[in-house]
Amino acid sequence: MISRRNFLTTVALGTASAAALAACGSPAPAQTGSAANPVTINYTWWGNDDRATRTRKAIALFESKNPDIKVNGNFTDFAGYWQKRATEAAGGGLPDVMQWDLSYLRDYGQRNQLLDLGTVKIDTSGFDKSLLPSGQIKGKTYGIPTSTNAFAVYYDPAKLKSLGVSEPDGSWTYDEYKSWLKEVGAKGNGTIFGSTDFTGIWWQFNIWLRQNNIEAFTEDGKLGFSKDDLKTWWNMASDLRGTPALVSEERATQLAPKSPFGSNVTVAENTWDNFMAGYLADSGAKELKIVPVPSDDPDNLGLFLKPSMLMVASAKTKFKDASARFIDFMINDPEVGQIFKTSRGVPASKTQRDGTTFEGTDKIVVDYEKSIEKYLKDAPEPPIVGFGTLEASFKRISSDLNFGKLTVDSAADAWFKEAEDLIKQNA
Amino acid sequence: MTQSPTLSRRSSSSSSPPLPRKSRQRGADARAGYTFLLPWLLGFIALTVGPMISSLYLSFTNYNLFEPPKWIGLDNYTTLFQDERFLQSVGVTLSYVVFGTPLKLAAALAVAMLLNSKRKGQGFYRSAFYAPSLIGASVSIAIVWKAMFGDSGPVDQGLSFFGINLGGWVGNPSMTMPMMILLTVWQFGAPMVIFLAGLKQIPADLYEAASMDGAGPVRKFFNITWPMLSPVIFFNLLMETIHAFQIFASAYIISNGEGGPAGSTLFYTLYLYLRGFSDFRMGYASAMAWLLVVVVGIITLIFFKTSKSWVHYSGDSK
Repeated sequence: MISRRNFLTTVALGTASAAALAACGSPAPAQTGSAANPVTINYTWWGNDDRATRTRKAIALFESKNPDIKVNGNFTDFAGYWQKRATEAAGGGLPDVMQWDLSYLRDYGQRNQLLDLGTVKIDTSGFDKSLLPSGQIKGKTYGIPTSTNAFAVYYDPAKLKSLGVSEPDGSWTYDEYKSWLKEVGAKGNGTIFGSTDFTGIWWQFNIWLRQNNIEAFTEDGKLGFSKDDLKTWWNMASDLRGTPALVSEERATQLAPKSPFGSNVTVAENTWDNFMAGYLADSGAKELKIVPVPSDDPDNLGLFLKPSMLMVASAKTKFKDASARFIDFMINDPEVGQIFKTSRGVPASKTQRDGTTFEGTDKIVVDYEKSIEKYLKDAPEPPIVGFGTLEASFKRISSDLNFGKLTVDSAADAWFKEAEDLIKQNA
Repeated sequence: MTQSPTLSRRSSSSSSPPLPRKSRQRGADARAGYTFLLPWLLGFIALTVGPMISSLYLSFTNYNLFEPPKWIGLDNYTTLFQDERFLQSVGVTLSYVVFGTPLKLAAALAVAMLLNSKRKGQGFYRSAFYAPSLIGASVSIAIVWKAMFGDSGPVDQGLSFFGINLGGWVGNPSMTMPMMILLTVWQFGAPMVIFLAGLKQIPADLYEAASMDGAGPVRKFFNITWPMLSPVIFFNLLMETIHAFQIFASAYIISNGEGGPAGSTLFYTLYLYLRGFSDFRMGYASAMAWLLVVVVGIITLIFFKTSKSWVHYSGDSK
């Protein structure tokens, strides 16, 4: 007869062995699938609803052309995206394929989280040779650009007309740019403002440094500019802060995550040219235009083509082949180009670019990148480890500056302290 | 942890080899008991104790999630106190706890006293006042709050009607704290229900006797309700204080996960989260977490020590 004690032991043993058997029983997932038994890969991206619709279309197209692969798609906004990836990476569960940003390439690539795409079959013959290195670290290809973008000043011609302010022609100094913002602010009657504080945007600062022949980071991953450079930069907007030339930080905070420009509160914004589709959707404007950023040296605009986003795969993916095929499809297929147009940036691969018809606003973006061709310098290398944090703290500290919580000097001190601390941490 | 009395008895009797039959039976009972507890125990050890111990270890390291942790001794703890954002987060959290908790408890007690007397529709009012605390911690309410206190939101419009033009509270660094406190005060349902139960325990004849002696409502409150209710007040104060230290979700949603504007909603746990998951400084975040545990522990201890002078349990000779 089984005693109570034995009974429990038996049950416990039985359960344990059943679990062990179950673990042995499930076959290792197949590397490749078939139409009858497809493999499923996970793909994740950041973006708004507009991008989600386009991406789902592209995924459906891929699945119809590749019946042996199913793609499970998932997306969030940009800030939450990186927090999610960090948690997944810590648990060893990054999605198979991911949309990626240059700012975070070193953080994950250098730490062996991303697959070396040089080891799988992806066609990069249609790529401009100067662009590919931005996805490479020490000879390994961790990311392949889907598309390029360039920095620009956006403006809303209809709003300018109603205010009676002339449109910029795109060859302007910082002083001219600032007095233009002041004019908009003065005529805007407290409801329309010039722009957000352009000195709070890291990339605009980076471009200004390049206009002055300074690189933001040295090759050994240190800061390439001095505290005085940063003070000069932040002082540039000192006479604009608190005036209607710039939208107040209070207002901008309330509108977040939408931008003041997309919310029709400002007439201008300095950012990447592939934001066109998003801004049009957000603001409902019929037409938005873009011109080059201001520069005090008319021959050096400090501009460059940056991969607007990259495709990467997890180093731990079980489906290298399927992941590679999906990446290849997303970067090269002309029909994918037709789906995304310039909403990811101008397609980087020639086959995709040539297979896409650009009309209307998409043509404005393509034409802009053509018009600045002669000013373009090499794309920057993948930024230093922890760059995403630095970029975020640049924005935060500049916002404190606008709230009047910091002076330019104390703001520069605060940012340098954080930056030096971070570089030391990751050294 | 509550240790089972059967276990200690068994271990003490194991020194005397000839087990009496009764004790053997108890031992079997204990085993069965632990077997039934096993799922919970496993979960507790694997999901709570284990992570806590590893986080204690990580708090002495530099750990970025991807590379093995590097031992750095007390560095994380010492840099904490030179970190201006850390100090800011401490200030923000303390002002939230110090102002939010008493206000919330006062609101809970006031409403509980109103609802204690028998009236028509009592059940409805109880549910109505309790409802916010059911949904209050959710993401959707934080979003609603943000919309209500935004530019030209209902609050802004309502106040302008009375000639008070504050603009939106969400973007104004000096108004975000009152907004967060209002959010927590509004969710007074849980302490209210506990107060209500406590109020029911107070014998009605005490009030009758006081009335006979000519005591007014204020006198009755301070001489009967407050002392009789003091164990419940103490419990609520303790729970709500600990709870207030842990505020995260609503601050995360309202400030888009950044603690803005100008760091005015940079609560302790939010900064901890940003350090860990945005900056990949898990060691630093672990140090922050342990510091919070210690501080909340000390505050709880202080509460217990001081409670002797103002909390009265029935049957106390004092």
